[in-house]
Amino acid sequence: MQPPAEHVHWMFATGFLLLALFLLAEVIAGEAVWRKRTWRTYLWPSFLFLMGVLMWPVMTFFTNSTIHMVAHGAWAQVMMLAGAAELGLVKGKLRNELWRLAMPLAFVVSGLAFLLHEQNPWLFQRSSFLHHLLGWTMLLGAVFPLTRALRPRWAFANAGIALVFVVVAVALFADRDLAPVFGHLSPLAGEPHR
Amino acid sequence: MRRALALVALLALVAPAAAFAHASVLETKPSYRQRLDKPPRTVWVRFDQGVKALQNSIVVVSSEGRVVSGTTRGGADPRMIVTTLKTLPKGAYTVRWHALSSDGHTVSGVWTFGVGVAAPPPTEAYGASGPTRTEHVVRWAYFLALALLVGGLGFRLLIVRGPLPPRAELRFYKLTGLGVVAVLEVGIVAFLLRAEDALQLPFTRLLYGDLSPIASGTRFGTAFIAMTLGFALVAALLFLSWLLEKRALLWVAFAVALGFASGLSLSGHSAADAGSSWKSELADWVHLSAACLWLGGLVQLALVVWPLAPELRREAFLRYARLAPVLIAALVAAGIYLSILRLPQVSDLWNAGYGRVLLVKLALVSVALAWGGLHHTLARPLVERGQPVVGKLSRSLLGEASVGMAVLLAAAVLVDSKPPPQAVPQPAQAVTVPPSSRP
Repeated sequence: MQPPAEHVHWMFATGFLLLALFLLAEVIAGEAVWRKRTWRTYLWPSFLFLMGVLMWPVMTFFTNSTIHMVAHGAWAQVMMLAGAAELGLVKGKLRNELWRLAMPLAFVVSGLAFLLHEQNPWLFQRSSFLHHLLGWTMLLGAVFPLTRALRPRWAFANAGIALVFVVVAVALFADRDLAPVFGHLSPLAGEPHR
Repeated sequence: MRRALALVALLALVAPAAAFAHASVLETKPSYRQRLDKPPRTVWVRFDQGVKALQNSIVVVSSEGRVVSGTTRGGADPRMIVTTLKTLPKGAYTVRWHALSSDGHTVSGVWTFGVGVAAPPPTEAYGASGPTRTEHVVRWAYFLALALLVGGLGFRLLIVRGPLPPRAELRFYKLTGLGVVAVLEVGIVAFLLRAEDALQLPFTRLLYGDLSPIASGTRFGTAFIAMTLGFALVAALLFLSWLLEKRALLWVAFAVALGFASGLSLSGHSAADAGSSWKSELADWVHLSAACLWLGGLVQLALVVWPLAPELRREAFLRYARLAPVLIAALVAAGIYLSILRLPQVSDLWNAGYGRVLLVKLALVSVALAWGGLHHTLARPLVERGQPVVGKLSRSLLGEASVGMAVLLAAAVLVDSKPPPQAVPQPAQAVTVPPSSRP
């Protein structure tokens, strides 16, 4: 019944790519032009919120180990939180600018969840490499939403967040259940999936 | 076209699946909770990657705790571990396994099967000690969170139907938001505690414990999946209702929350024990829903309306006073029905552990009812006449809510306790007709 794990990774990769596209579109078009249509201002925060909601089925149906279940639960919650905080700020329901820190918090928690739930070294197999890559990308990439929290209208920060999302999307698209990384596959990892 | 593309993109994100990093179980023989007609000769587990078999990687024990398996060895396939079995008599068996995953992690799990009998759920595997005191507290927290959420929504929609002052509205959303977040978080903790008990693993090894037999092979696991998804949806609806100021979304959230609260009724004593039927499940759901609406309503009255919406106190109190007797009646009627069902004899009330906890709960319910009765008979006329009873009544409402919380604690212990066994009706003796007398 359940699709292979890699397919779900690709689905979320599509989501992150779209998020990056929305953010980049705003950077390229300029905030004044982008926000001429009200719905556009809600576009990426609501999409992030939706991705958080859709992570819950992954968390609940993915119970073949505790640590993966908890990690997926953490991603679901921080994506919902970050999306909700941005929506609240855009709508004007939240006035305290500290809510912008929800986004860097989401990056940090997501990065830590990637790193903690992957116990193998970088070159063990492809998903190990990708988990390390994703974890460090999110952790280091948290500087962009943090910058954005301090200077909300600085386009560079939005471009940086978009870039992080593109890297996340590429890494998720590259995922296979069991596959070599740079031609290397640990003999302990078993037979390659394809 | 654009809408269709957007819909496809959204649907693409919906389908869930597992993700792999260490060895995960692909197949077992016998399978989870399989009922076999003939005793198996071997038990094996096949993983998605190579594993190292340890001497006691698979241990099979009978329901009396007797080990019936031999030494574990690796199979011809490096991804398999196998053990041989003695000739098994009819009965239920527990398989506990652990293997050194190729990535260096010890992966573990448990499942059950039956020979000639139905297999028990893995939460009742041999060695599982049953609910602990921590689980009682966690279940209590779950009930409180549910009351905060369901009762809060019910109060806002059924009692205070009009607009609230902004500060009161915000506090309503904060309290119900706290409720739904707590339902999700506490639900996860409750699931992990139950899995820890079934797997009998220390925390570090539980991290790599296989939870799938508990998630997919028990009513508790199915309820966990359904309720987590349902309450995640409620969280989203609650947030959107606040953001967009759409009251209609609160109705949807209320209906979804009430509906998914039934997961507790469909997975507990009322669904699984002897004598259970759709009536007992419905009664349990009514009992739970009425308790949540009553307690959550009291909290909203005391913490939202009383301090932040003084102009609405009179109306809200009188409306709540009209609804409360209906809730109490439903609560008591369903409770009496369930008590009769679960306690075959009156003496079970003091002889069985379940009965004694029920007595404590009944005593606390009596206190709560008496307190509510005082509000109804003494405070209500004063409020109707506009007498100044504001400060005292606020504290008194909180007092009644505190007793309600104590009732929920007793309920949490009760849910985790085992009711006394039901008398099994003796089957009618088959009349053996001598061959000579057959036509």
